[in-house]
Amino acid sequence: MDEIAGGMEEGKKTAAYVVKLLKKRGASDAVVSVTREDVSQLKFANSRVSTTQSWHSEKVSMFAAVGRKLVSTNLRDVSEKAALDAVDRIMKFAAAAVPNKEYLGIADGPFSYRQPDDMYDKEITRLGDTAVDILDGAINAAHANGARRTAGVLETTSFCISLLTSNSVEAENRGTKAYFSMRAFVDKYASGHHTCNSRVLRKFTPEMSAERAAIIAKQAIRPEPGIPGNYDVIFSPLPFANLLESVGKAASIFNVESKLSCLGGKLGKRVGSEDVCLIDDGTLPNGFDTAPFDEEGVPTQKNVIIDEGLLKTYLHNTSSARRHNVKTTANAGLIAPNPFNLVFGKGSFNKEEMIRQVKRGLIVTNVWYTRFQNYETGDFSTIPRDGMFLIENGKVVGPVKELRISDNLIRILQNISAVGNGSEQVFGWEVEIPTLTPPVLVRDVRITKSVE
Amino acid sequence: MSAKSAAKSEDALDLDLANFAIDYARRIGARYADARLESTSVNGFVLKNGIPQISGFDRVSGIGVRLVVNGALGFACSNAVSREGIKALVDRAAKITRAASRIGEKILLCPEKPETARYEVRQKINLADLGPKEKLAAMFDVEKAILKAKANVSGRFLNMSDFYTEKYFVNSEGGKILSRIPRTDFWYFITVEDGNRTSQRYWQYGAAGGFETIYNYRFPELLAEEVKATQKNMKEGVKPPKGKIDVVAAPQITGIMVHESVGHPYEADRVLGREAAQAGESFISKKMVGARIGSEAVNIVDDPTLPGSFGYYLYDDEGVKAGERWLIRKGIISGLLHNRETAAEFGCASNGAARATGYDREPIVRMANSIVKPGDYSEVELIESVGTGVFLKNFMEWNIDDKRLNAKYTGAEAYMIRNGRLAEPVWRPTMEISTPKLWGSVDAVAGNMEYHAGTCGKAEPMQAIPVWFGGPSMRIRKIQLSV
Repeated sequence: MDEIAGGMEEGKKTAAYVVKLLKKRGASDAVVSVTREDVSQLKFANSRVSTTQSWHSEKVSMFAAVGRKLVSTNLRDVSEKAALDAVDRIMKFAAAAVPNKEYLGIADGPFSYRQPDDMYDKEITRLGDTAVDILDGAINAAHANGARRTAGVLETTSFCISLLTSNSVEAENRGTKAYFSMRAFVDKYASGHHTCNSRVLRKFTPEMSAERAAIIAKQAIRPEPGIPGNYDVIFSPLPFANLLESVGKAASIFNVESKLSCLGGKLGKRVGSEDVCLIDDGTLPNGFDTAPFDEEGVPTQKNVIIDEGLLKTYLHNTSSARRHNVKTTANAGLIAPNPFNLVFGKGSFNKEEMIRQVKRGLIVTNVWYTRFQNYETGDFSTIPRDGMFLIENGKVVGPVKELRISDNLIRILQNISAVGNGSEQVFGWEVEIPTLTPPVLVRDVRITKSVE
Repeated sequence: MSAKSAAKSEDALDLDLANFAIDYARRIGARYADARLESTSVNGFVLKNGIPQISGFDRVSGIGVRLVVNGALGFACSNAVSREGIKALVDRAAKITRAASRIGEKILLCPEKPETARYEVRQKINLADLGPKEKLAAMFDVEKAILKAKANVSGRFLNMSDFYTEKYFVNSEGGKILSRIPRTDFWYFITVEDGNRTSQRYWQYGAAGGFETIYNYRFPELLAEEVKATQKNMKEGVKPPKGKIDVVAAPQITGIMVHESVGHPYEADRVLGREAAQAGESFISKKMVGARIGSEAVNIVDDPTLPGSFGYYLYDDEGVKAGERWLIRKGIISGLLHNRETAAEFGCASNGAARATGYDREPIVRMANSIVKPGDYSEVELIESVGTGVFLKNFMEWNIDDKRLNAKYTGAEAYMIRNGRLAEPVWRPTMEISTPKLWGSVDAVAGNMEYHAGTCGKAEPMQAIPVWFGGPSMRIRKIQLSV
């Protein structure tokens, strides 16, 4: 047993005590999780470490349904006395709360769990201050490929989550993570960004990411002001993951019911071209958010959200599934279901083949500040950052700048005409849901810019 | 704040633990150390289409320690606060930071007078004195008002939270600050349908104070008006006129423009590239301080000390006394936002802009309350002065590039101005404009100050921090709108 799991015993005892006590006091459902987490980060800027950061946290999270009155809280002190106080407060809070008439319970266990591959690596927990050497190597790799300065983070995490419910669920998830993000600059207006992440050290590739960020930056020197209009756009995995994140969130039944989804009312209907296959996979080997179970303890699974352009399912927890007469997709969130890892189906084209298909277009290597005018219709805009390249008659002409994508998410999905044959797992500042995706070619994207 | 709750919260923090943390950090070789011991009580409520989703309460507490070792900066935090835990925390931070100093930036902090102070924001209606029933009742009042507005509001998402934060800052130079700040936060997301059009609106209100701040905003009336205006806009909205026209931007628009195109690029850490891989850099360079960026009519400050503000504080998270700081004076860039580290690089004093969202985040350069200073006109006078133009009351979609040079604002509630009077609504007028063009085109500013709340994102891991932004209505001459 390692250090992170070793500190769990008292918390687990407290969790069992809390579940028992909540039931005794009249809670119909109780979900209690104990989490212990250690995170270390090296933040760098101007190719030097600007801060080292480390976090240690331990907590007991409690959810209780008293009838249909739902209350949640967290506890940092894992003693029985603190737990008793918390349960008292939960019951008092519930007494004054208003019922959620939509609530239809949590899953009935017990369940058996399969441990997905590549979830935990002792080597990550042992990295300690030698993480500096990995970062040093990555910064040097970027400079060797033409970067003048770099910025980003290298972060490692080890965690253990123990889950207990009043419906016979008892489960544990222990994991490690490594994440690297680098933005490389040749000058103020020539930059490239790349990220990588892994649950195990042997698949963690920061030097390769650094090289790629630097290569984009080098190609982006002296960009010309772009011209607005409609373009065919090749989205690299990093920006396309940003857009897919919005699709993944839109698949949550909570957002559909809240009118915050452009997928609402479209079940069984076409929402993308035949090239669009999107899966949420909580079991993905080495998936950054892969877990054996969701927040109510249901074993995770693969959910096909969009298959050949047709919307197949929304993401559910047990309560929402019962409300909609379907089976849970194992995506609890006790209130709002969430994706684990989004996976976009691979295609058959390499990058050069995709470029050759474009008469007038752009390669977008990153976007940021995606904002919606209307989540229900999918109208949005987002801003390309880092290297953006003009394509004319099947050839890359050179870098451009100062353009904005102002379009509609469903239209983007429907206009996908080619999908790349190599996928990258993206996670980072602008992509909070880990997403495995290849590049895609989207026809006729509306591009705007500032008017002087 | 009542005496009873003050005594209770004083008991919540064991100040000696923070003192111990910096003493221990110094003992093991840190050139500088500071600690923030914090405890925040939170209550939160969500109403979705009239149905309470979940109610929650929490107490978030812990300690964050910064230290400078071998010239490099380290930060570590834990919610398991004990002397042994703090020792382990500081040891770990020192070890990692020593190792990183090999490729680390040499950190200098500008000299600052160590401050000793205690302050608090008083509550008229103590957050702790109201239970979930009373707080949910305030949300149901809003729900009822929306339904009474006689429109098809198919999506109604209301969120309300209150926070009471007690924070003790101490550093190795003798600074000691104890603060107690209550805050309330309310935001909504509504979807209004009419025929084949739908329109959405999100907005947020926040303040420092007790629950009276929730009542004072009069959300039921505000939301009812919002729904009616949104419906009218969908029914009657016309396309904005083509060509260059004059625009009168109301305080919500002014506020977001200040925040995005002045506040952010004036954060000195962005200018120095420290945020390059996250929230980005800035079009501003060191040399640009003193250069013209707008017309004579443009005066912009950031002021953490605005009473009752969402971004309120008197001392920042490095213990530096805060005050009003000028960013643009009569169109000239007059200063940037600094913490002690960026101030040392610029050779100036910190202006108290170091903030962290909690004990578990490092303090970095942030805005607090960024505003355009009021001018001599009234909003009516600005509208009367326009022949054909557009009045932008509020917005939905917006964004700006990561150097803060090119922004987009798409209006939600907007009206044509015809011969100096407000006329029919305008559907989704969109302004895409560069920062110098925007502030260079503002030629008159009204006196109708409004302050609006936002939760501003920066850093990695994300620090979503409470701010106000605002100002009065502004006249922007000869700009182009699109749909």
